[in-house]
Amino acid sequence: MLGNASGEEQMKMQISSCSLSPAVKSRLTAAGFHFLSELRGLSPSHICAEAGVSQQEALQVLQAVRGGASRRGGASGGGGVGGASVGPFPSLTALQLLQEEQSQRSIFSFCSQLDATLGGGLPVGKTTEICGAPGTGKTQLCLQLAVDVQVPVCFGGLGGQVVVVDTEGSFLLQRVQDIAGAVVKHCALLVEDDEQRVAMTTFSVETILSNIFLVMIGTEAMMSLGFSRDSDLSISPQVRCHDYVELLAELHLLPDFLSEHPRARLLVIDSVAFPFRLHFDELSQRTRLLNGLAQQLIAMATSHNVAMVITNQMTTRLRGGQSQLVPALGESWGHAPTIRLLLQWAGTQRLATIFKSPGHPGATVQYQITSDGFRDADQSEQPPSKRPRTHTVQSAAGQRDSNQSAVGQRDSNQSAAGQRDSNQSAAGQRDSNQSAAGQRDSNQSAAGQRHSNQSAAGQRECS
Amino acid sequence: MGCWFPSKTVGGGNAPLTLVSTRHYIVKRRRRRPGVFESGLCKIVPDRSKTNEPTYKHTGIYLRVESRDVLIMDWDQLELHPRIISAVRRCALSVRTVLCVSAPDLQRLSGLSRSDTQQLLTAAATACRRHAPLPALLSRGLQSSLRLSVGCPILDELLRGGLPVEGVTELSGESGAGKTQLALQVCLSVQYPTQYGGLNAGAVFISTEDSFPVRRLQQLIRGQSCLRSDVPPWLISSLNFSDRVYIEHAADLASLQECVSRRVPLLLARGLVRLVVVDSVAALFRSDFLASDWLERNRQLLTFSAALHHLSREYSTPVLCINQVTDVFSSSDSLGSSSSTGTLTVTPALGLAWANQVMVRLMMWRLQGTVSRGDQSSAPRRLQVVFAPHLARGGRGAGVWREGVRGLIETA
Repeated sequence: MLGNASGEEQMKMQISSCSLSPAVKSRLTAAGFHFLSELRGLSPSHICAEAGVSQQEALQVLQAVRGGASRRGGASGGGGVGGASVGPFPSLTALQLLQEEQSQRSIFSFCSQLDATLGGGLPVGKTTEICGAPGTGKTQLCLQLAVDVQVPVCFGGLGGQVVVVDTEGSFLLQRVQDIAGAVVKHCALLVEDDEQRVAMTTFSVETILSNIFLVMIGTEAMMSLGFSRDSDLSISPQVRCHDYVELLAELHLLPDFLSEHPRARLLVIDSVAFPFRLHFDELSQRTRLLNGLAQQLIAMATSHNVAMVITNQMTTRLRGGQSQLVPALGESWGHAPTIRLLLQWAGTQRLATIFKSPGHPGATVQYQITSDGFRDADQSEQPPSKRPRTHTVQSAAGQRDSNQSAVGQRDSNQSAAGQRDSNQSAAGQRDSNQSAAGQRDSNQSAAGQRHSNQSAAGQRECS
Repeated sequence: MGCWFPSKTVGGGNAPLTLVSTRHYIVKRRRRRPGVFESGLCKIVPDRSKTNEPTYKHTGIYLRVESRDVLIMDWDQLELHPRIISAVRRCALSVRTVLCVSAPDLQRLSGLSRSDTQQLLTAAATACRRHAPLPALLSRGLQSSLRLSVGCPILDELLRGGLPVEGVTELSGESGAGKTQLALQVCLSVQYPTQYGGLNAGAVFISTEDSFPVRRLQQLIRGQSCLRSDVPPWLISSLNFSDRVYIEHAADLASLQECVSRRVPLLLARGLVRLVVVDSVAALFRSDFLASDWLERNRQLLTFSAALHHLSREYSTPVLCINQVTDVFSSSDSLGSSSSTGTLTVTPALGLAWANQVMVRLMMWRLQGTVSRGDQSSAPRRLQVVFAPHLARGGRGAGVWREGVRGLIETA
């Protein structure tokens, strides 16, 4: 914030007061430039042309213009791009890592079963992939998480910001407003003490939207001019084929953005498959790029302490005469995410399966998508499935599993709280209460959910 | 914001362009004194000359924008040390390929130091991105929350206002379910001004199956005053509906691709059209390929859907694709599309490859029985939302009447 203010002031500065050689300054003023703000957004070649200075001098000018910004960027990681240049991490013992990890909050999903299975929600600092066929709720879960990460700290949330990279064009504000409205309403019902009351004054749909930073890949004009000229059958090859380049470009620049926004706790890419599945004739190139991208994501997640959530499409694989639904982008991509979550339909039920996670047992839980967002499946209202199939048995077992792990989770929270207690007496205590209560909260939300649905005209399920 | 095009791409003088929006450009023109530019807002105006290339008009000078060169950005435009620029020129890399090469490879290729490579990558990435991350609150203005009404308040309510303006909407169903009827109706409703749910432009109807049902369209046009009682009659009579429905026939895949990549963009760029209907996508993709050619089919399908996506997002134009259905033999229904209506065991055709490309999937069913309205009777239909990022799963009954498709008021 302060850095921004000083940047603004600097923009009002006169060129004559800059640390530039007098010759350059006089040329700039002769060309009609008086304030630094007039130089912003110009490319060096234009400054060269307009003021008649050399390219090198033009670069110096631009560096002077952006002095404030670069000084701020310089403080963290030498202004370098990519996690690789952030510098070596200090070596830590496993105990330190454990304490660090336990002090980190997770992003809860408002589906208590899923949160319990994941040990409190999606972990910050890790990469989570959500796979699923179209219409299973990948985008819904992403939007839900994007709102949930902003829940104020006193409500057990993270009070963070979020960057959403939308490659499919499925980020619809209408839907985000629905979900945000439901979360705000839910929090308003939970208010107990003054701190929460104060937090609620600023926690509104508007603030939620202003804390979601949106990157839209593949929209806007620019490419409109790129009509194909040659008359081969493949249509306008340059139109969307460079989407992935845009995504790569964005990922190069995101570390800088994240260091400017230290409150960002979540980065969503919905979906990573979309740009990479079009126009890739050469699969080895794709694999290489995806591997690089995975490395960037992991580096960003750890260095900026951000939860990465990426969605992936499903594809059909033929193996031994049998077709099978598997996540897209190939085998090697499967190593990139820490946690892989598979969303699927089974008859009329929606099931979420954890099928890769180093820290949690594989489990299947039920969920539903209501007009308010991603929620627990309502057991009571669930119609009995017509033919009992294997997966329903599995899911029952999964629920039992998840309950156990929830208990385990609470234990570990308490022990973590015990450690923290010694450091920060009161605050730590409240934290641990909240994280334990987080599960209760989301149960309540499910109950509240049922309530509001009855009052509203029937239950609407979104897909 | 925006991007400077290299001056060489623009004919008629050294005039770089800055993009402001889909339809506006800022043109900077060099004046007689070197280094001084004259700028002006340039609007895309149809060039009435005989050429087929998109041409842009600006205060009397015609700027022709060449296709390929636009994307090859010039290194000179980037904020880089001349040393870095010359090094990267030497190894003949374009701005976009630099981003696809890993940093160590780039270092090796260009012989630059590590920090120089990082600078190079940052500069290239900045040139390729359109804008820095924007708060969603701000993008509320950018992203149009506009919806295209389907012409019936009951169905619009199901769709929360109508079809999303950006994105591919699929409407599938068995033959005789009323898909084409609804599509024709949308072709007319798009022509109304925005306060009546339209987009104030025409529609292009790409027909791949049958000949275009001209008679039915005429009948629907005559029925508009009956269907749209919310619109003042003088407005309906002032609209020249049939002149603004452009019909394209595509009998094979090649002509379909040609149509989507050439003729439709021209119509869109001229602002004549703001709705693309494809009736149907399935027909050609299902007939032109043998079962063993599925890999090639998927490739073609992706190319086609990429083009539709591009059109939709580029010109913020709704794209409505009509799809056929296919029977499901196995009971495992991964897409969950046929579950809710019980007896129905069909799912939209073209499989997962296509389903991944669709933003909103609607299905239409023809049900047993009859419903009547006044002196007319119709088989009841049902319009169902299968998935959409912003819609609840649910459906509405509907009937096809002389004046068009209308939702039925739900009883109990």
